[in-house]
Amino acid sequence: MIYLDHAAATPVADKVLKAMEPYFGELFFNPSAAYLPAKEVSANYEKAKGVIAHGVGAKASDLVITAGATEANNLAFTAITDGVLYLETEHVSVRRVAEQYDGQAIKVLPNGVIDLEDLKNKITDGVQMISVSLANNELGTIQPLAEIAAIIREVKIDRMKRGIKTQLLLHSDASQALNLLDINVARLGVDLLTLNAAKVYGPKGVGALYVSHDASLSPLTVGGGQERGLRSGTENVPGVIGFAKAMELAKKHLNGNRKKYTNWRKILLAELKNYELINKKHSLDNFVVVSFQGLDAERLIFALEEKGVYVATGAACAASKGEKSHVLKAIGLDDAQIAGSLRITFGETNDETQIHEAAKIINELTMRERARING
Amino acid sequence: MAKTVYVGMSGGVDSSVSALILKEQGYNVVGVYMKNWSEDLPGMKCPWAEDLADAKRVAVKLGIDFKVWDFEDSYREKVVEYMLEEFRKGNTPNPDIMCNQEIKFKLFYEKAMEEGADFIATGHYARILVEDNSRSAPRREVCSESSSACLMRAVDENKDQTYFLYRISEEALRHTLFPIGEMMKPEVKKMAEEHGLHNAYKKESMGVCFVGEVGMKDFLKKYVEAEPGEIREIETEKVLGYHEGAVFYTIGQRHGLYIAAEVPYYVVKKDIAKNIVYVSKNLNNEELWTKELKLKELLLRSGPRPAGPSPRAAGANSRAAALRNAPNRSKSPFDISVRLRHRAPLIPTILDGNTLRFEHEVKRPASGQSAVLYDGEICLGGGVIA
Repeated sequence: MIYLDHAAATPVADKVLKAMEPYFGELFFNPSAAYLPAKEVSANYEKAKGVIAHGVGAKASDLVITAGATEANNLAFTAITDGVLYLETEHVSVRRVAEQYDGQAIKVLPNGVIDLEDLKNKITDGVQMISVSLANNELGTIQPLAEIAAIIREVKIDRMKRGIKTQLLLHSDASQALNLLDINVARLGVDLLTLNAAKVYGPKGVGALYVSHDASLSPLTVGGGQERGLRSGTENVPGVIGFAKAMELAKKHLNGNRKKYTNWRKILLAELKNYELINKKHSLDNFVVVSFQGLDAERLIFALEEKGVYVATGAACAASKGEKSHVLKAIGLDDAQIAGSLRITFGETNDETQIHEAAKIINELTMRERARING
Repeated sequence: MAKTVYVGMSGGVDSSVSALILKEQGYNVVGVYMKNWSEDLPGMKCPWAEDLADAKRVAVKLGIDFKVWDFEDSYREKVVEYMLEEFRKGNTPNPDIMCNQEIKFKLFYEKAMEEGADFIATGHYARILVEDNSRSAPRREVCSESSSACLMRAVDENKDQTYFLYRISEEALRHTLFPIGEMMKPEVKKMAEEHGLHNAYKKESMGVCFVGEVGMKDFLKKYVEAEPGEIREIETEKVLGYHEGAVFYTIGQRHGLYIAAEVPYYVVKKDIAKNIVYVSKNLNNEELWTKELKLKELLLRSGPRPAGPSPRAAGANSRAAALRNAPNRSKSPFDISVRLRHRAPLIPTILDGNTLRFEHEVKRPASGQSAVLYDGEICLGGGVIA
């Protein structure tokens, strides 16, 4: 198997699994219980939250643990009542919520990066939040959050001068970037940051929302008052322990992995034939998005699957219920470019030999498809 | 030059193997997924996207072209609207029969022919007998426009789908191939497995064909307005309970009745105008049984029987006669047989004008269901129970 879809899911790392194991067994206690062994679990849980928070330059008390990034994104929006701007290339979990708040989309430039002029024009006095992912999930495009934060600061000063009290928060979904960028909430200037364990070799169904003191949230679920009352329900102790371990490993391997992926990207781009590179710049190091003009990417995916190579596409395929990628459309690709697009994302399951092998197999199959089309 | 066949591929094993067989026989095969319905109902996910992916995956494996044809608007109009209208009238229609008549063997057939296909094919268990070829012949190479074609039951009696196909036009039949009509289902599965088709053991879809695992009642509730009403015992007119709408009930039904009773009750009659469902605990209630059935929308492929000159004199039917395996039936006037439900046993019958007559009483099928007529293995056509 050559797995090249790490942006979709990552396997749980051995060390992560090992760290989690005791919490399914001897350390099963409810952290809210009164006896000492439960208190120990509670302490370990808080410590783990601290490790996750520290990974993005925050404190344990700044985090609300959620069941994944979608919930964290939904929770972030409870900070506002109305007036939201979001990047048009955002993940569906942001777009759908933003729509409920009458959200307005901010354009991206053809390179996938936010159009800051469009942003400036759209920040009217009613806007309470701006949601821009740190790195896009289809292209890997990294957004200049610090620049956006600087613009927000200016707007806030201007609003204060004019006596306008409306809040203006910056939310960012960092799910895709946790193990590929050095993330610090203060440097990014975000008020709300969505984190996800499942994309960084942690367990699925575990996420977190960083919440600054400027943001005031309302709970989506009520009950026992866990997570500062923002997310009731018995804590997912093994999940959070696993997330912390995954965060630790992500930090440790960050620089080494980035170098490795940059090199693999070069190899792949040199060895692939008859393609157009889509994510030319400003991308996470492990993303390669290419388009094979005139080919149907979904056919390629099924043909690759037969050879044990797993990749993704932004094409209108069954997996997306026949809908074309809104991201590829937003950066101005035409229908044929979108139809022939593959998203290849490297990760820790790969080695260099696999990259050579994948390039060879993809070349063979694109040639076979072209031969079939030309009869 | 190789003939071109457009194969309707649903993502299931039967149509996948059909495509495989045609490819092995040297046809130029084009796979087509017909997108007929894609709406999710609350809490029920429509499986179309997964089915499409399964079909396309097989097409890629076979190295054949693959298309998706969107028939959603026509399907809604010709099949779903028809079905809902029939239910509103108190009938129990069969959407599969309508789908074959209006979509698969009409729109799909016409579009394939327009694109230059010589044949269409589907994964139905059925056979076609063509006059100028002695075989039912999935390998058919010629088909003159003047030749007659008739529908025959599948070799696998257990899977035979002619009940759903009796209304398709003879013109479409002449240009149709049923590659697995001579195979047994286990052979089909085995062949899929041997060729590494991933859907060899895919679960067959149940429930309403176009909405996946949904019961008809759940589907109808969304589209048909209904008022609660009384359930009465037919013999006594006594109110035994209440129902959610008479249209949701079918004659013969025994489940889903909100009646507290120790013995099962059967729906025997519906009064749609008064919104009353009549039940009985007596399985011998006369409403449940009949010796004759009136048909409407009668469609007979080999000319009306038994009126007029004996159709057996014609070429196709003399061959059909030769294929008939029931010997010495001429003594009985009940010389053809009828199927009142898919996979129901064949019952000897006489067609007298628009009326089917039986020697013994049969359980009365719901109005709107089809009665499909057979002469031996030949499917003669049929009609809708009035």
